[in-house]
Amino acid sequence: MRRKINAGKILDTAVTYVILLAVAFVFFFPCLWLILASFSKSGSIYSFDGFFPAQYSTASFVKLFTDTTMYNYPKWFMNTLLIAAGSCLLGTFLTILTAYTMSRFQFKMRKPMMKTTMVLGMFPSFMGMTVVYLLMTQFGLINHLGGLILIYASGAPMGYLTQKGFFDTIPKSIDEAAKIDGATNFQIFTKINLPLSKPIIVYTALTSFTWPWSDFILPKLLLKEKNLYTVAVGLMSLDETEFARFAAGSVFIAVPIVILYFCLVKNMVNGISEGAVKG
Amino acid sequence: MKKKSIALLTAAGMLAGIFTGCSREAENVQPAPDAQVKEETGVVNTVFSGELEHDVTIQVLENDTAVSKGYFEQLIKAFNEEYAEYGIVAVDANMNQYLDLANDGPYGYGPDVLYQANDIIMQYAEGKHIYPLPVESMECFEQIPETAWAAYRINIGETAYTCGVPVNVQAPMLYYRKDLLPKDWEQAWDENGNQIPDMVENWNAMYAYSLSRHEEDSSKYGYMKSLFDVYFSSGFLFTYGGYVFGNNNTDPSDIGFSAGEAEKGAWVLSQLAGAMNEECIDDSITTNAYSKLADGTYFATITTPDMYSTFLDEMILAYEEEGLSEAEAGAKAQENLVMTTLPKLPESGDLTQDGGNFLDAKSMGGINGYAISAYTKYPNACLAFVEFATSYEMMVNRSELLGVAPARNDAAETAGGTSQLLYDNLEAGNIVLMPSIKEVSQIWTPGETFFTDLAKDAFRPEGEKKYTDLDAMKKGLEAVDQQIYDAIFTLK
Repeated sequence: MRRKINAGKILDTAVTYVILLAVAFVFFFPCLWLILASFSKSGSIYSFDGFFPAQYSTASFVKLFTDTTMYNYPKWFMNTLLIAAGSCLLGTFLTILTAYTMSRFQFKMRKPMMKTTMVLGMFPSFMGMTVVYLLMTQFGLINHLGGLILIYASGAPMGYLTQKGFFDTIPKSIDEAAKIDGATNFQIFTKINLPLSKPIIVYTALTSFTWPWSDFILPKLLLKEKNLYTVAVGLMSLDETEFARFAAGSVFIAVPIVILYFCLVKNMVNGISEGAVKG
Repeated sequence: MKKKSIALLTAAGMLAGIFTGCSREAENVQPAPDAQVKEETGVVNTVFSGELEHDVTIQVLENDTAVSKGYFEQLIKAFNEEYAEYGIVAVDANMNQYLDLANDGPYGYGPDVLYQANDIIMQYAEGKHIYPLPVESMECFEQIPETAWAAYRINIGETAYTCGVPVNVQAPMLYYRKDLLPKDWEQAWDENGNQIPDMVENWNAMYAYSLSRHEEDSSKYGYMKSLFDVYFSSGFLFTYGGYVFGNNNTDPSDIGFSAGEAEKGAWVLSQLAGAMNEECIDDSITTNAYSKLADGTYFATITTPDMYSTFLDEMILAYEEEGLSEAEAGAKAQENLVMTTLPKLPESGDLTQDGGNFLDAKSMGGINGYAISAYTKYPNACLAFVEFATSYEMMVNRSELLGVAPARNDAAETAGGTSQLLYDNLEAGNIVLMPSIKEVSQIWTPGETFFTDLAKDAFRPEGEKKYTDLDAMKKGLEAVDQQIYDAIFTLK
């Protein structure tokens, strides 16, 4: 009987591991292939020895940053960084404010506004592209990185519901206690709720950063000059013979996101545990 | 009740929205405001007054090859020096070479001068997004053949307007590796003893050599090309009497892919597919030809002359990998990579026949040229730039640096070699220029479907082949004509 249970457990664990490994392989393999392809010496996908490059070198990465006559990757990278960082700062600020307002204050149009934003959030973002383009032409914001930051940042508060949910979990009795002690609304927000909201701020900052970092449609629509391209648009404009450069560019674009994630994930976890103790 | 009324109103609104699509042609749509007035008042005289705008910057869009090879930098530097006294500065528009002038131009985000193929420029011309030009007064007018000018001409009422200045001729060229010729080619593959290998003189020898090369080593091939590509494959039909549109490519109601004995051209393609692999069905060969020709897997392919430098770069890389220095690799690549005009086709269409008559190969081609945006604020400065860029010196420079064939006779003569051959082919009518009417956009999909099916046929089991004889091929081409006709006229 005892043996039977052990055999069943082992089988169960083995099957689980096999399935997990298979799923992990499916997701990991394309990344691995792209990373190896970016180190291909020949630079051509057609000279591969079967599925992987025959010889390896870092030439594609060197070319990516030094040969900028036609494809100015460093410039595209800095443009992307500027847009993503700007959108991240402004978008996080606006989203947190919106979520806090919706969570803490009662006003007449609160419920209709919440319903409206929820319904509007259901529409795909590319639906309004024509209107966005026309508006941006009228404001003279085509070919301006600032225009993109404005759009990303102003669109970010639409997804405030997650943040509102977080603020809802912070007991309102803390606010009331602070109010009795004479704190203003601004002080309650900055001195009490904001420090408790570290995890959600980090989460909001990460999502506000990654969206513009990898977005293609909006920069493609609004940026006409090659020197203003973001990495996503720039990589799409590469010639068909530039596969190695494409692979190297795609690999390198993941680096900041990975660094950001590893730096911030600790804060997210700490914040969550801090919140748990205080709660 | 209230909710029902709202629902009814919404439904009625949506229905009305749907029916708006059934209205007559959009009456509200206006052409570019300036263009309408200019057309009525004689744009050429009023816009191009000859008085240069002073202290202005014009944005010029060139193609990527011209930019990457440094020609464009040379061009704008020379122009800016020449026109420094007027304060006219030409700069790189810094935009994607496949821009959308129709959408971006009206908002002021397009270039002032653009370099594009004739079919693209003429589509802009139909939409009145570019200016007609006073070409008769230009220095290059006499030097450029009438066929090339015709590609940029549009008739409005009784008046003909020329909307672009031809720069270079684009037509398929044969690229092959001289070092991959058989060692005994002078004895075994030069029947007429003219010191030109038979395989680059006629398709029968090319077919025979392709088969023998593949037979010797199954990983090697002779001639390779993606056959689905209408631009390259339709020339085989034209050689035997096919055409795109009647009346010099201006009458879209007369579609002629099946005209004459075009089915013989289809037969030639079908035989060539038999000497390739299944990659000829899609665009695999088009994209891998550069590296496969460089590593010796392919002996020959066809593409446009502006790709010469890309082939050359790949060959240099391949030689460098073999251990040669940069200079040695460059010299060897230049010696071994040959670009020439297309081989002749057998009159019978049979690639296995010995002897017989051969026909000059016709091909679909294009003329790339400069045009001036109708949204520019400085038309006279733009015209000065076009004049400068199409001058003899600049055309010769362009040809030397980019390997393209100039549309100017004097520049083609100076360039010599394939440039002269291409120019001669254009004048002889062997290059059938892509139609400059908007209906040309409807030929690609039906054509691609047919050529893909034809290429697939070579790899189908014997009993499942669709194009077993010339009659079947003729019917296939007639179906293509009908599909194009339907695409153009069904909803017109």
